[in-house]
Amino acid sequence: MAVEEKNAIVFDNVSKFYGEVLGINRVTLTFEPGITGLVGPNGSGKTTLMNLMTGLLHPTQGEIRVLGESPDHPERLFSRLGYCTQFDSFPAGMNGYQFIYSFLRVHGFTASEAKKLSWQALERVGLEGAAKRRVAGYSKGMRQRVRLAQAISHGPRVLVLDEPLNGLDPMARAEVIEVFQALAEAGCHLIISSHILHEVDMISDRVVLLSSGYVVAEGEIGGVRSETMEEHPIQVLIRCDKPSLVASRLFEQDHVVEATLHDDHGGLEVRTRDADRFYTLLGEVVLAEEVKIETVTVADADVRAVYEYLIGNEGEGR
Amino acid sequence: MSAAVTEPPASLAEDSPRGIDWSLVLRQITGIMRLELRRNLFSRRAFALYFLAFSPLPFFMLWAIMARREITYHEFDIEGPAQAVAGPFTFTFVLYVGSMLFLSALITFMSLYRTEILERSLHYYYLTPVRRWVLVVGKYCSALIASCTVFAVATAALFFLTCIPWGFGEMNRYLFSGPGLGNLVAYLGIAVLGCVGYGAVFLLVGLFFRNAIAPAALIWGWEAINFLLPPLLQKISVIHYLKALFPIPPSETFVAVITNPTSPWISVPGLLIFTALVLAFAGWRARHMEISYGGE
Repeated sequence: MAVEEKNAIVFDNVSKFYGEVLGINRVTLTFEPGITGLVGPNGSGKTTLMNLMTGLLHPTQGEIRVLGESPDHPERLFSRLGYCTQFDSFPAGMNGYQFIYSFLRVHGFTASEAKKLSWQALERVGLEGAAKRRVAGYSKGMRQRVRLAQAISHGPRVLVLDEPLNGLDPMARAEVIEVFQALAEAGCHLIISSHILHEVDMISDRVVLLSSGYVVAEGEIGGVRSETMEEHPIQVLIRCDKPSLVASRLFEQDHVVEATLHDDHGGLEVRTRDADRFYTLLGEVVLAEEVKIETVTVADADVRAVYEYLIGNEGEGR
Repeated sequence: MSAAVTEPPASLAEDSPRGIDWSLVLRQITGIMRLELRRNLFSRRAFALYFLAFSPLPFFMLWAIMARREITYHEFDIEGPAQAVAGPFTFTFVLYVGSMLFLSALITFMSLYRTEILERSLHYYYLTPVRRWVLVVGKYCSALIASCTVFAVATAALFFLTCIPWGFGEMNRYLFSGPGLGNLVAYLGIAVLGCVGYGAVFLLVGLFFRNAIAPAALIWGWEAINFLLPPLLQKISVIHYLKALFPIPPSETFVAVITNPTSPWISVPGLLIFTALVLAFAGWRARHMEISYGGE
């Protein structure tokens, strides 16, 4: 086994069918350390992918390796993997501390270790004050956080999070994202599914776009966006003092497919199929014509744009 | 909220040898039992166990009061308790095992997986570094301890209520100078082994079936007609092994002995081997089970 594979999550031609219903089909992916966002509409296969990764489901065909281990061996896998599922349910009658402590004991930790780890995890998600309250009385956001605490309590190297930002208020969201980023910086794998696209964009190093059980695109956002540029030219907003001049100079190039002046004559919107050549040209025009640039903004190089271009109407309403 | 990254303690060595670390397995089983014992003894699920185990108690108390009033002075001898145990108690105990203990095992052991699937909380166990057979063993042992404890106490209470109308003196003589203590131990053994056998069967059933009624009816029917089955098929049942353990053979009940009963020296290990095979199958099933909760 390659050294790289021991530090990666690998899907090799994996398919999962629920009877005749397709879950995911022929997925071949490699997840490297860092934050990977899983994006796709309902039923696209995000949760199936996560459940396969964690052994809750078994693939119909293909092979999965998580840090070199098969998900069929929980005794080896789950000391290194934590999974915060979407299931908003808990064992009955427990408080937040008992919930985390009890399952750490099931891991095999001693009482003192489990106690220490439970409090550490609760502190990390800001729930130490509510630790002795019944989970049944928690708000949705608190339940989400206590499940996150349970998933990270044993110090996993791989953290799989299914819609982890659901139900969190903006403050808690920011704090949880901070925890994710700290874990990623420490070399952990974080696989995060979310329908909040701008947050996926903000926190993910890479994205995997899924649609109807197929991987539509994967990689760094910029790279994925570049691949779609031929069909969906990139859109750049420029605020400057000579928009008409800039528009005429830029429009001479074959990769610039559209240039529209703003109504206030204080800027323009350009669509181009070649971002690199565009920026080089823009620099030359600015220097040659002594144009004063206020801002240059790419309007559609984020996950949302990629999502809309690649998945389109399927994901409407999300 | 803290963003610091902490390392877990060394007690769960990540790069531990691939062989089974038995001390870790023992800690994991203890951890599972901590959770499950609480559920099996102190939750709503436990109500069925207590109710079924102790439901004959009021009737035995009533019987004891009525019997006490009818007993004449001459009947105050060791034969009184012995006859009561051989008669009403044995007859009732056979029914007790075939109904109350059977139903209790059905509810308690089938719930071990089914309830958690219905409550959507089984995945918490499946996301721990625990071998699936260890989980089966931990859950089974916790339900077994709860069931055995409750049914042993209930059996002893029923036994003493059967003897008490003849007074403590006669009861003591029957217990310590007669066959009483041996009989009591045998009945306790039957209750415990009943929990062992039926528990394993219903744990397995809970891993396969969503609805308990059909498989429970089938198993109950199979147990009831056991004495009519060919000798080889008789061995695939719990009652076959239990009936050999009755100190006083029940003759007019559904465990009526038509064929020669097996010796206790064969039936006890036989039941334990049967249980081990059922649990091994349950472990295999648990290993291949998927957690999706869909359509539950």
